[in-house]
Amino acid sequence: MEKNILEHGLNFNRRRFLSKLSLGLGSVALGSLLIPDLFTGSLEEAGLPAGIPDFAPKAKRVIYLFQNGAPSQLESFDYKPKLREMMGQELPASIRAGQRLTGMTANQSSFPLVGSYYDFKQYGVSRAWISDLFPHTAKVVDDICIIRSMFTEAINHDPALTFFQTGAQQGNRPSMGAWLSYGLGSENKNLPAFTVLLSRGKGNGQGVYSKLWTNGFLDSTHQGVQFSSGEDPVLYLKDPEGLNRFERRKMLDKLAELNEMSYQEFGDPEINAKVQQYEMAYRMQTAVPEITDLSKEPDDIIKLYGPDCLVPGTFAANCLLARKLSENGVRFVQLYHQGWDQHGNLPNEMAGQAKDVDQASAALITDLKQRGLLDETLVIWGGEFGRTNYSQGAMTKDNYGRDHHPRCFSIWMAGGGIKPGIVYGESDEFGYNIVKDPVHVNDFHATVLHQLGLNHEKLTFKHLGRRYRLTDVAGKVINDIIV
Amino acid sequence: MKITLKGFTENALFALNIFIIFLLAVGDKISVPYWLQPLGRLHPMVLHFPIVLLMLAMLLEFFRFKEAYTGEKLYQNFTTGLLLTGVLLSAVTVVMGLFLSKEEGYSGSTLQWHKWTGVSIVFISSIIYWSRNSSWYKAPLAKAGAVLTILCLIVTGHYGATLTHGDNFVLAAVMPVKEKVPVDKAVIFDDVILPIFNEKCLSCHNLEKAKGSLILADAKSMLKGGKNGKLFVPGKPEISLLLERIHLPVDDKKHMPPKSKSQLTNEEISILALWIKGNADLKKKVVDLPKNDSLRVLSASLLGPVVAVEESYDFSAADEATVKKLNNNYRVIYALDKISPALEVNVYNRSIYKPEAIKELTPLKKQIVSLNLNNLPVKDEDLKIIGEFENLRKLNLNFSDVKGGGLKYLVSLNHLNTLSLSGTKVNFSAVKQLVGVKSLKELTLWNTSLSQIEIAQLQKMSKGLNIIGGFKDDGKSPVKLNQPRLSTDVSIFKNSLVLQVKHPVNGVQIRYTTDGSEPDSLKSSLYDKQIVINETTILKAKAYKAGWFSSDAVSFNFYQSNYKPDSIAFLLQPNEKYKSDGTKILVDNQLGDFDINTGKWIGFRENNMETIMFFKQPIPLKSVTLNVMRQVSAYILLPQEVEVWGGVDKKDLHLLKIIKNQMPLKDEGNALVKLDVKFEPRSISCLKIVAKNFKKLPQWHPGKGEPAWVFIDEVFLN
Repeated sequence: MEKNILEHGLNFNRRRFLSKLSLGLGSVALGSLLIPDLFTGSLEEAGLPAGIPDFAPKAKRVIYLFQNGAPSQLESFDYKPKLREMMGQELPASIRAGQRLTGMTANQSSFPLVGSYYDFKQYGVSRAWISDLFPHTAKVVDDICIIRSMFTEAINHDPALTFFQTGAQQGNRPSMGAWLSYGLGSENKNLPAFTVLLSRGKGNGQGVYSKLWTNGFLDSTHQGVQFSSGEDPVLYLKDPEGLNRFERRKMLDKLAELNEMSYQEFGDPEINAKVQQYEMAYRMQTAVPEITDLSKEPDDIIKLYGPDCLVPGTFAANCLLARKLSENGVRFVQLYHQGWDQHGNLPNEMAGQAKDVDQASAALITDLKQRGLLDETLVIWGGEFGRTNYSQGAMTKDNYGRDHHPRCFSIWMAGGGIKPGIVYGESDEFGYNIVKDPVHVNDFHATVLHQLGLNHEKLTFKHLGRRYRLTDVAGKVINDIIV
Repeated sequence: MKITLKGFTENALFALNIFIIFLLAVGDKISVPYWLQPLGRLHPMVLHFPIVLLMLAMLLEFFRFKEAYTGEKLYQNFTTGLLLTGVLLSAVTVVMGLFLSKEEGYSGSTLQWHKWTGVSIVFISSIIYWSRNSSWYKAPLAKAGAVLTILCLIVTGHYGATLTHGDNFVLAAVMPVKEKVPVDKAVIFDDVILPIFNEKCLSCHNLEKAKGSLILADAKSMLKGGKNGKLFVPGKPEISLLLERIHLPVDDKKHMPPKSKSQLTNEEISILALWIKGNADLKKKVVDLPKNDSLRVLSASLLGPVVAVEESYDFSAADEATVKKLNNNYRVIYALDKISPALEVNVYNRSIYKPEAIKELTPLKKQIVSLNLNNLPVKDEDLKIIGEFENLRKLNLNFSDVKGGGLKYLVSLNHLNTLSLSGTKVNFSAVKQLVGVKSLKELTLWNTSLSQIEIAQLQKMSKGLNIIGGFKDDGKSPVKLNQPRLSTDVSIFKNSLVLQVKHPVNGVQIRYTTDGSEPDSLKSSLYDKQIVINETTILKAKAYKAGWFSSDAVSFNFYQSNYKPDSIAFLLQPNEKYKSDGTKILVDNQLGDFDINTGKWIGFRENNMETIMFFKQPIPLKSVTLNVMRQVSAYILLPQEVEVWGGVDKKDLHLLKIIKNQMPLKDEGNALVKLDVKFEPRSISCLKIVAKNFKKLPQWHPGKGEPAWVFIDEVFLN
């Protein structure tokens, strides 16, 4: 006992304390030997990507056919015979389960279920159900992967669209295309890595704004470049009359000297970005006219995409242009087709919208395939959310509308190492909730980045004191849809 | 101070505790050098010692305060020693485990659970060791601590075992495996038919149970059949006992599977029928069947997809400086990924391309695995150099100037798997050489001179190769042309108008009429360069081209208006809400549509429409045309009466003409109407137009008794 008391006392003397401390410090020092580059700092520490993929990519480029306004999954890819059987009956409360509705239908006194006005049939080896509105897409069904279990967090167009494009509902983050440009650099130095093409259908439309193709906090060289349908596909690209290319070159060289001086003085990296943009524009002056000239396309191509592909500003023309841009090394071609917001008059409007996009979307797949490019080009087709299984407003036998539905909708992907000819995910028999394999927008982003050889957790940018990702703090790669 | 073994051990334990905390704190930043890895790998061996020692020590600790043992010196000393050894060893094991976890292949929630429970063992037992002689440490605490440590030991052990042996290791032996067989490897009987039996029939027709003496566990017993005879005659599904039983009504006693069991799906029934029809082959693979065979299609939906093999490269990386030197704005070279030695090369811009762009790549001939020369004037002789790129996997020569002579150089490329020759002038005999290239998996020949028959012939010669012929219009399902367009959007003109009709598709014929009739491919005028019109005209046009369906007719209206007034005023005011921009709307050459809110219409309700126009020079006027709207349901009717007055000045006006409109019928449709008022030609310098609205809507109208609206947009003067 006496010994114990003595030992206890010794536990508190200075020598004991110091020797214990040295032991502790020693182990920390030993452990620190295991950290490589502790004092050197690494590239990743600096927050810059290497400009090459983390691992061998399946896809090199993306063409995103965004169907702006949110096409109804119930008249396209998610076949729900039950809704026709229960036409006009009330949406069971057990299915809705008190989930949020938009302000447009929340005060509706009843929620009558409404089945698709259009019939569905099974196609291809995969036996996927596709509605009669998409006969051409049905022909390429064995090349596409239909995801019927997408869901998002936003319930209105703008936040949902912004979420799909930038991974956040508020519009201050870089767009998907900008992240890719940042992570992989451009493939063809004569064209921007990220381009945007707009078209508009006759259906009820919703706006698109340049914040959707913004570089956010990334360097402005990563911003999406919009190609317009007019005489000049890229505005302000032509030399003004009387200025020849030699003069232009001289002017740019002088300008670069001035910019270099101001960079020396202020050190703002945006100055360098600007110089790079001038140089890119100079090279685009020869590259762009060659690409946007559709007059040399063979007759078969025009029949494949439909004759509208020669009318600038149509979805078909944009699909053809997207193929040409992608073929020439543009990493990310973003199309928007407006007019999919069928709150009313759905059967009629949706038929027109589908007619606008069906043939050209399918043609793009066939065209990439016949050039041997489909396996390295990821094509995505879909809107920002889905539509409700109940009718918005009055419902008649051949006329109804559908409100926004973020909880379950369908998109398809093709090429770029995505499994062809499969249907992934499942909704309940009312098409309201997901019952199998949900895919969140973050998961979708993670998967797209993965296909391009990028780890979504490693592609970061330090801004306002923290690291940002396209998937922010979530997202998992959907391995089941990857070859 | 004498250093005892116990003191030394205690110090070591303390140091290890700190070391573990440090390792946990810096976590991801650690990478274990290779010479320390064997230490980590000893973890699975060493861990058994602390488990046993700690278990025992904790058991003794549990009973330590029992009266009988408190005085036992041996018991107390032995427990202390045992505990110290156990804790120290467990700390060593944890350090080893943390090292091991840094190696490839360890991740996920199982690892996290194992890690944190393992670490807690060390911390909890260390705390017990250091506090067990304190005065506040009594029996209940000793018991709780012991139980907690033992629980942690069990949980850690469980997760550790899961990490090493996988999930469900214990039960896996008795659980069925459900891994889908890939389509390209599946045998029809083994991987499609038998699994159906397994799932739906085996519970009754197995070796033990064998109801009706039928066993469906394997091919041999299945072929034997049951007490009612053989299940089927190969090739004759119609007399098959198997299918008969399946197709009997569900309520029938002999229906199989019995009503209470899970039933066959329609697909499964079709598969069984098709398989019997195809002679019930036991050896055939799914891929041996033709591509669109129903049995193959149905089977594929039950099987897993083809499993792709990852490519690996065993050559050395290229010199970085060389790659950098060869990289420029028109030739982009980049590594496949961060660690791969393989390079991809894309060359761009037809106008700048020179054959040197390929020649200069020779120093990288070993590393280039993908070369994109799309749409460049690459010649056959340039392929000779490409033939030396020994590791080339993918070559894109679409729309290049290759004619086929150079393809022989590519035959020696042992790894080439994708070759794109779409849009080139290659012919059958040149492409035939490539059939021998074993590695080739995909060949695109769209838009070449090869016919569909020749492509089919090539496909037959090479089974493993996927030849893509692409889309070729066979003329069987023509596409409809889109409508012709106009080069102008002017619709109101003075004197005459020259029109150009355009169509985006080359080589179309445009036929048109100007009399309002439907254009016709034979009789109507053929458009050539331009159309000149010099009166109010309805132009209808249609596009035609051989091999296409003709377009829908498109119709354009052109209105002549030869005179514009020099000044114009309303004598009575329009309705306040629909006054738009006032009088100028009448002569602005812009026509409105059915939307009255676009600012292109002027509405009158309280007053008649009365306007007066002046001309500096007298004009020979013979007609006045008003563009007005009718939308009965919106209270908008045509004017009841239109008067046209003309003369030299305001005070000298003569009535030139009055026209009257009838009250519309109830179901009269909406329309934009051009009201023509024609009269004897007369020279005038002042013109007054009066359009009177109906003052009372009729009985059948919802607004009966109220005045109707008149909406006017434009006035044409001729």
